[in-house]
Amino acid sequence: MANSPLRIGHSHSGQVCIVSLDGRIDSTNSSEVLTQLNDLLASGEKHILVDFSAVLYLTSAAFRVLLVATDEAQRRAASIALCSLAERVRELFEMGGLLEAFTIHGSREEALAQFG
Amino acid sequence: MVRPPELLYAVDETPPAAVLVVSAIQHIAVIAITLIFPLIIAREAGLSGARLLDMVSLSMLAVGAATLFLCIRSRFVGCGYLVPASYTAIFMGPSQYALQLGGLGLVFGMTVVAGLVQVAVAPVLHRLRALLPSEIAGLVIAIVGLSIASLGLRYSLGITGGGGIQPANLAVAGISLATMVALNVWTRGYARMFCALIGLIVGYAASAAFGVLDMSAAIPGEGLAMLHLPDFGHIGYQFDALVLAPFVVAALASTLRVMGDVTNAQRLNDKEWVRPEFRSLAGGAAGNGLGTVVCGLLGCLGSNSYSSCVGLSAATGITSRSVGYALGVGLIVLAFVPAAAVLFAAMPAPVMGASLFFTSAFVFTSGIQMITARMLDARKTLIIGFSFAMAVMADIHHDVFMTAPVVLQPVFGNSLVLGTVCAITLNLIMRIGVRQHVGMEIGPGQDDRSAVEQFLTEQGARWAARRDIMNRAVFGVVQLLEVLGAQSGKVEIEASFDEFNLDVRVRHPGGALVIPEKRPTPREIVASEEGERLLACYLLRRSADRIACRALGDRGEVHLHYDH
Repeated sequence: MANSPLRIGHSHSGQVCIVSLDGRIDSTNSSEVLTQLNDLLASGEKHILVDFSAVLYLTSAAFRVLLVATDEAQRRAASIALCSLAERVRELFEMGGLLEAFTIHGSREEALAQFG
Repeated sequence: MVRPPELLYAVDETPPAAVLVVSAIQHIAVIAITLIFPLIIAREAGLSGARLLDMVSLSMLAVGAATLFLCIRSRFVGCGYLVPASYTAIFMGPSQYALQLGGLGLVFGMTVVAGLVQVAVAPVLHRLRALLPSEIAGLVIAIVGLSIASLGLRYSLGITGGGGIQPANLAVAGISLATMVALNVWTRGYARMFCALIGLIVGYAASAAFGVLDMSAAIPGEGLAMLHLPDFGHIGYQFDALVLAPFVVAALASTLRVMGDVTNAQRLNDKEWVRPEFRSLAGGAAGNGLGTVVCGLLGCLGSNSYSSCVGLSAATGITSRSVGYALGVGLIVLAFVPAAAVLFAAMPAPVMGASLFFTSAFVFTSGIQMITARMLDARKTLIIGFSFAMAVMADIHHDVFMTAPVVLQPVFGNSLVLGTVCAITLNLIMRIGVRQHVGMEIGPGQDDRSAVEQFLTEQGARWAARRDIMNRAVFGVVQLLEVLGAQSGKVEIEASFDEFNLDVRVRHPGGALVIPEKRPTPREIVASEEGERLLACYLLRRSADRIACRALGDRGEVHLHYDH
């Protein structure tokens, strides 16, 4: 997408697939995130960790995508967790009353320990 | 004002009596370092023995009163924070000049005038608000930290004139400083609270061991009485217009410093501090001026707020105003105890150096934090970079800078004053061309979020706005564009800023937007796009401090307001 400063990458740590997001997530690029997460779930990944450490902010469109992907993971008996939310990103989750809707870990290491 | 959790005793809290007394003694010990300045003038004036000790005692009396004027919380006088007074190098140049010209009487008379100038300036400080935005206040505080560190290092190494490092001084300063640092970093409770005082005591002991301590030199030939009313015999007052200019410049420089110190004290006591509060600054400036008047009347040099004590309060977590009252009264009482004057007058240079170097770290870091909380564009970067460099140059090339005309020596001879004057002047110049109202347009069908982000971010840096507030504004506008969806006409974005308000107005095709307040559940958000729209509206409402929508003919306007 031309108007997309978002970079998405993924790697593995044991059984956990780590998706790294870098930039802002809004309605112009949130579908990319959904496609990436759905593809990983379709390929049989059971534990997906989305690393938010480089996310600047996310809008309502991104929240919807994350909720949809979390539902899809549950349908496939998989799980999606988030980690390393910057202070201002965490505030947005809090503002939308969505902290409870996701499994959120303080850091990548803490999340991997939980998955282990 | 939100109390920072790391403070042990905040400004309005009173510590237990024992903590209060020992804290006051600790501050007194740190303030005593600056008695070196009246001592230098007294020696240059030829005072010795009992007369010299009298001047030290009177200096303690005056600085005690000045501390009370500074710390008191009242409508017109005092800042209401723990900002003690001390003697300062700022008045040294003018005082030495006055001494040569007319003797001690002229020094004292002109010191009174300098104090009155500060009292007169205090009520109009709020009109000078544009001169001291938060990032410039931070710069001033950082320079203060740097100048204290520089002085501390010189004393610690025993460098005088063209001489080299004195190994004994280095050892004493090292032991004293290591004690302060170790107690501050690796201990809790009383040891941490009184780390500077313990470090000073250890420093005195180390000085005795290394042969650096010489108490006998400070004891007059006729011996010491238990209690003694200082003699006022050397006091007289003269006035001369010839030395007025340097004293006025020094008075203004002193006011700038007290503004920086009070700002720092405000920040230490408020977790959500965003900008200097000017009523407290004006009270501090008036208190500082009255203190200087008292100093002149009691036959001393001009005093100033003491950044090291503010740094000490940050290091120990005790910022209680009560400590200011206790130490002010303590200094006044000690002025009648000659043994105290001897003890302080004989403080070894490396012990002074260790204390100054220790407290400078807290002052410097506080200033840097204030600077980095703001967004900085090329203009602000140049202001801060140039001014900081000039301050450092004033210390490195002090001899060259002191060849400036006498009237300018209080500016060029002092790193703090030169750096501050440079920052304020450049800030005024760089304001040229910075508009407070700016706008951009997004064409029909375009949806360039990056351009919006860039526009607001660059403008925020020009205004030196708070980073967190500009981030909220960027989010708000992008979220609003999502609420508006694809537009058939142009969208205009207009932003305006002053130090207290950031307003963003977005004009769009169609009538007034209706923004519901309902927060959707996660189920509703997933179920339909309407759920997502509800979330978008809810986030938009919550992210701004105020939001208003209205119709403007056939267009609509959304006004996002952010308290700054």
